[in-house]
Amino acid sequence: MKQKLISSIQLILLLALTTVGLTGQSYPGKPKIIRCRSLEKETFSCWWKPGSDGGLPTNYTLFYSKDSEEKKYECPDYRTSGPNSCYFDKNHTNLWTTYNITVMATNEIGSNSSDPHSVDVTYIVQPDAPVNLSLETKPSASIMYLWAKWSPPPLADVSSNSHVYYYELRLTPEEKEEWETISVGAQTQYKVVRLHAGVKYVVQVRCMLDLGQWSEWSSERRIQIPNGQSPPEKPTITKCRSPEKETFTCWWKPGTDGGLPTNYTLLYSKEGEEQVYECPDYRSAGPNSCYFDKKHTSFWTIYNITVKATNEMGSNVSDPHYVDVTYIVQPDPPVNVTLELKKPINKKPYLVLTWSPPPLADVRSGWLTLEYELQLKPEEGEEWETIFVGQQTQYKMFSLNPGKKYIVQIHCKPDHHGSWSEWSSEKYIQIPTDFTVKDMVVWIVVGVLSSLICLIMSWTMVLKGYRMIAFILPPVPGPKIKGIDTHLLETGKSEELLSALGCHGFPPTSDCDEELLIEYLEVEDSEDQQLMPSHHNGHPSKNAKMTPKETDSDSGRGSCDSPSLLSEKCRESCPLPSTLQTQDVRDVQENKGGKTSWETQRIASEQKPLLLNSESTKSSTWPAAQLPNNQPPVFAYHSTVDAHKITLNITNANVAPVSVGNEEKHQSQYSVTETVHDDMEKQREMENFHSKTAQTTVHVRQNRLNDKSPFLNPKLMDYVEVQKVRQDEQPAVLLKHKENTGKTEKYTVPGTSKEYTKVSTVVDHNILVLMPDSRIQHSPVSQEPAKETSQNLQQGQAEKNTSSSLTAPSKCKRETGGSEYIDPSSFMPSFK
Amino acid sequence: CHTSGMPTPNGKEYAQKIPREELTHLILKLLQAWKEPLSHFNQHIEHHQELPDDSLSKAKQISNMVHELKTGVEKSMGIISNSLNGMASSEAAGLSISNEANMMSDSDFIHCFRRDSNKVQSYLKILKCRIMPENSC
Repeated sequence: MKQKLISSIQLILLLALTTVGLTGQSYPGKPKIIRCRSLEKETFSCWWKPGSDGGLPTNYTLFYSKDSEEKKYECPDYRTSGPNSCYFDKNHTNLWTTYNITVMATNEIGSNSSDPHSVDVTYIVQPDAPVNLSLETKPSASIMYLWAKWSPPPLADVSSNSHVYYYELRLTPEEKEEWETISVGAQTQYKVVRLHAGVKYVVQVRCMLDLGQWSEWSSERRIQIPNGQSPPEKPTITKCRSPEKETFTCWWKPGTDGGLPTNYTLLYSKEGEEQVYECPDYRSAGPNSCYFDKKHTSFWTIYNITVKATNEMGSNVSDPHYVDVTYIVQPDPPVNVTLELKKPINKKPYLVLTWSPPPLADVRSGWLTLEYELQLKPEEGEEWETIFVGQQTQYKMFSLNPGKKYIVQIHCKPDHHGSWSEWSSEKYIQIPTDFTVKDMVVWIVVGVLSSLICLIMSWTMVLKGYRMIAFILPPVPGPKIKGIDTHLLETGKSEELLSALGCHGFPPTSDCDEELLIEYLEVEDSEDQQLMPSHHNGHPSKNAKMTPKETDSDSGRGSCDSPSLLSEKCRESCPLPSTLQTQDVRDVQENKGGKTSWETQRIASEQKPLLLNSESTKSSTWPAAQLPNNQPPVFAYHSTVDAHKITLNITNANVAPVSVGNEEKHQSQYSVTETVHDDMEKQREMENFHSKTAQTTVHVRQNRLNDKSPFLNPKLMDYVEVQKVRQDEQPAVLLKHKENTGKTEKYTVPGTSKEYTKVSTVVDHNILVLMPDSRIQHSPVSQEPAKETSQNLQQGQAEKNTSSSLTAPSKCKRETGGSEYIDPSSFMPSFK
Repeated sequence: CHTSGMPTPNGKEYAQKIPREELTHLILKLLQAWKEPLSHFNQHIEHHQELPDDSLSKAKQISNMVHELKTGVEKSMGIISNSLNGMASSEAAGLSISNEANMMSDSDFIHCFRRDSNKVQSYLKILKCRIMPENSC
């Protein structure tokens, strides 16, 4: 029995569960009141949320009680506020009353009721959000404001519009959540300041009744705040130009537009008129310009032009610009620039540049006259050369370099007031090369020839340099003085030289002289003999004989050296001013190898005139015109046995101031005879002369060539001091006899004598050696003793070429310097 | 300007339309109108110390040039006979005009003169090219 009971109970449970499981039906879940709200304090609604419905249709009923009353009312209106709601209308709504509300859910099985919900209407008032929110930006005094406007929430019951709503506004820049909430008050509009320009804002509003809650925020409104906007800036009129003096255009430059689209208008008035016109044509000349056509252009009238800029914010007017069209003409550049190369006959080709005036300019009627200017430069050049051409439309160019490329440009301007046009486009000129083939050939030939010549010359120079030089510039023979070392001379150590000579000091002492003389004498004797026969033979023969000897000692002597030649040629007639100039004297000295170019003529004590032939070398620079004599020292020294006098024959015919007896001046006691052999008369003259004077005086006058007379080494041997007479005064040479040093007499030779020679006398031999001494001007001239007059012409012993005054070119130019010799031939016979 | 009252063509077309004689007359009238004011002006500026000597001599030079131009135009146009009549009337007009000229300031004077000389130059050029179109016209 028990078992049956348990099982039945189990069965029932199972059945119940199954039923439940199968059918899912049960009593409903508990509903829940979610919200009660009043829109305007006069009605309110409540909403609930149902629980599970238990699978069966459920009914919901709302019961409420007021305050602490027990009476329960049912919801008057389930529909107005939608499903699961209850709407309490005005009649059922009491403020300041606490409503206790419960909702019961009922279905077939059972019911369920919610928890009670107490509501005080006062506190559940929440209006709807405001509507019709509109936003606007307005600039006010260059500041942008945001104007927000809206409307209060709509109500079903119009009569309740007397409610006062309070509003609140909030805004934030877009995409940022930085809300700025502003209490607006009761107004339905608001001006928002402090906005950032260029930002997009999101704006919302909400409202509230005096008690209750804030409504929801309205839907968003967005607005873009524009950038700072202002009226436009003042435009400026930049320039006005007339291209052809018939129309003109003005351009202006706008200022900033203030962020808004701006309009420009040009206004003008004419001089003397009040009326203001507007620009007739804004387009033809491009943007920001005004074109005045022919009808609107008047000349010699001043236009007053202004430009006005306008935009939403305001307008601005430019400064007035005064224009007289006459003065603003700027033409277009010239056109049709052409080049033509013209090649006239017998002239250089030249270029002709032609152009035309710009097409618009009316030059034909003379209304507009244009002047042109060229600009030229070589292609690689940097600076332009500007050439003003004037009113012509062509230009000839002559001076362009052939073969080069040039660029040329032209521009023009009106001849009176106006400005220069732009430069025309560049034109290139290519100058044809002028260089003919013929010129090239000529130049090539010239070049080749000159190079050939140069080669030849250099080759010859290399090979035969020395000879050529010697040919051109003959070497100067050094002095040949016996006992003198040429090298010492060269070195210039006179002391050593003198020591070599054995002489010390100057003037050379008699000891020295004697030695030298002795030596000299020895040599001479042998030669004398030789000479004598030759002399008889005559001059030429003598000469012939002499010459070899001469040549022995001399170098560089040519035929000119022969005394005969000299004597022949160097007659009185022979113009030999240079003969007195002894250049070669020195040379001869050298060449003679130390042989003194002495000529001592021994004067016969018998007053036989010694004729000293002195041949002057033509070109030789005989110092002081001694007795130039080429003859070797052989002749230089002659012992005169008989001769009392020495007549010096100076072959210097030309030289007037011959020291020894001027030919010209017979007053001199000495007569100069060129050649003794030739002129016996002269000898006689000489004799006569000599006889005249009681004293055997030898006036030796030697022409002094110049200060450069050959250097005479006073210390050479065979040197006898000669007192010389000053040139200034009556020049005279005093021959100083060695032995008779004491006796000095002055002889004055009449006439001007510029030259004088030293005479060294040898007492022993009664030889008067006459020496040309250029340096010693005031050297004492020793007078030859009465007995002896010997004159030695000493040639320039200086090895150097002293006075090189070769005045008279002569055939017999002596290279080696003539040594002045007294030709012994003249007196040779006398010696016998 | 004291010559503003004169009816002168203000553009190329107008100038070209005018017959030759009338244009010449106009030129002469203009030149005549300036004769008196220029001499007066020269006298006036001689007293100006601050002007350099160049300006004074230049002004005199210009006056002479205007006179020469007038004579030249007359001669070349061969209207000496006409000018006798024309000048008589224009001189009378010129006198009244020149009174006006004396009132002008120096800068205005120079400005007006510049303009009128430009006018004269332009008219003469037009005349020249009308009469002798070969030479650079």
